[in-house]
Amino acid sequence: MFNADKFITETIADLKTKIHGKALIAFSGGVDSTVCAALVNKAIGKDLIAVHVDTGYMRKDESKFVVKMMKQMGLNVRFVDASDEYYQALENVVDPEKKRKIIGNKFIHIFERVAKEEHIQYLVQGTIAPDWIESGGQLRDTIKSHHNVGGLPKKMHLTLIEPLRDLYKDEVRKVARALNVPVAERQPFPGPGLAIRIIGAATKERTDIVREACDIVETEIEHAVDKGQMEMPWQYFAVLIPIKTVGVHGDKRAYGYTIAIRSVQSIDAMTAAYSDIPHDVLDRISIKITNTMGAKVNRIVYDVTNKPPGTVEWE
Amino acid sequence: MGMKIYVVDNGGQWTHREWRTLRDLEVDTKIVPNTTPLKDLTKDQITGLVLSGGAPRIGLDNPLGNCAEYLEKATFPILGICAGHQFMARFYGGEVKPSIVPEFGKIDLTILKKDPLFTGVPPQSIVWESHNDEVTLLPKCFTHLAESDTCKIQAMRHKQKPFYGLQFHPEVEHTQFGEHIFRNFITICED
Repeated sequence: MFNADKFITETIADLKTKIHGKALIAFSGGVDSTVCAALVNKAIGKDLIAVHVDTGYMRKDESKFVVKMMKQMGLNVRFVDASDEYYQALENVVDPEKKRKIIGNKFIHIFERVAKEEHIQYLVQGTIAPDWIESGGQLRDTIKSHHNVGGLPKKMHLTLIEPLRDLYKDEVRKVARALNVPVAERQPFPGPGLAIRIIGAATKERTDIVREACDIVETEIEHAVDKGQMEMPWQYFAVLIPIKTVGVHGDKRAYGYTIAIRSVQSIDAMTAAYSDIPHDVLDRISIKITNTMGAKVNRIVYDVTNKPPGTVEWE
Repeated sequence: MGMKIYVVDNGGQWTHREWRTLRDLEVDTKIVPNTTPLKDLTKDQITGLVLSGGAPRIGLDNPLGNCAEYLEKATFPILGICAGHQFMARFYGGEVKPSIVPEFGKIDLTILKKDPLFTGVPPQSIVWESHNDEVTLLPKCFTHLAESDTCKIQAMRHKQKPFYGLQFHPEVEHTQFGEHIFRNFITICED
């Protein structure tokens, strides 16, 4: 079995020999990057600079929460608000692979900028096994380019350090618990964020819609779990489908987007089964989303696809 | 001597999962490229070998690195999964063709014949699949062990040697008795 304590001791020792000088960590605030930061912090202390980027595709109040947590962890924090830059770069980009690569590339540019200013040579990332497996290369087919692998430029100025490369999410959570990291049980959230939960162009208008819808799905499902109505899913969120359908709102014709509810059970994201959400929970989510969004959304669908044949996220 | 079972990487999405399952079962394991010569494996004194699944359609007509050499000369048990299984069938004179119904995700497996690989696994269980091609003709020297409604040859074994082929994926979490099957394979490697 995977031994978290042994992993922590060995990794810290290894990081001490690998890193000479300052290192920058790409800190999204998810389990992987947070665990990674805690490990590197133990190895090199104040020489670690933790950078959180608000891409504009974060969930509701997420960046605020993340920066607060970084400070509580005693990290050396840098915050970059790059939302306008990201919205601009993704204007009219429809292809999911292009979205992922643009986002990954932008991350690296931002990190290289900070690194240059602060004379940093190492880039630490919380890359885990499914990231490089699904990104493909050599024999393996590319399922999707994870931003932290497939989005990397050919020529990098920074030396890459990825201490969690051989781990899956359930193992990262074990390390998180052993390190007492506050986000150990947080649901996974992809680096490209809400941009890949919008099918088609990820405009600001659509991002605001899917952000609100994700928040409603999260709140209602967590509420149902608290009441013992269902098991806690591995991951649960909303996807915006840019297909408009006809509805009727107060005797008036409505013509709005479709939102899909996605919720799955998994331990490692390599296979997943869709969650069995009770009908009255689906009902509450549906009513709340359509009533909050007014004319913007008037149809809700429930995704009943496993992985394979689907993947967890839609893009 | 401890268990040492290597995983030959044919480019599958779940190669690393096979490694992980073996490691979780306290086996000394390592992922090796399929170009590794057999002599390097025997030098490491491995007690068994897993041939992983592969990149798309690789099982259909690809030589699959040095897998032929392993099947020809190995004295240790071999477990072929998906493309590894398909290659094993082709090597021994069977046939592999595109599936009429490709299977992805959840499938009901029926075990047809008792075998040490399936000890403790009920006759009906849920397995997870991901394939476009399948074995359509069983090699003469093999026994047919399991099937599903949409794919006849889900499991097979060599009549004389401890060589097994599985079309489904015992290494993923959602295969009901996957870890159990790996444990049985480890027991086979101990003998």
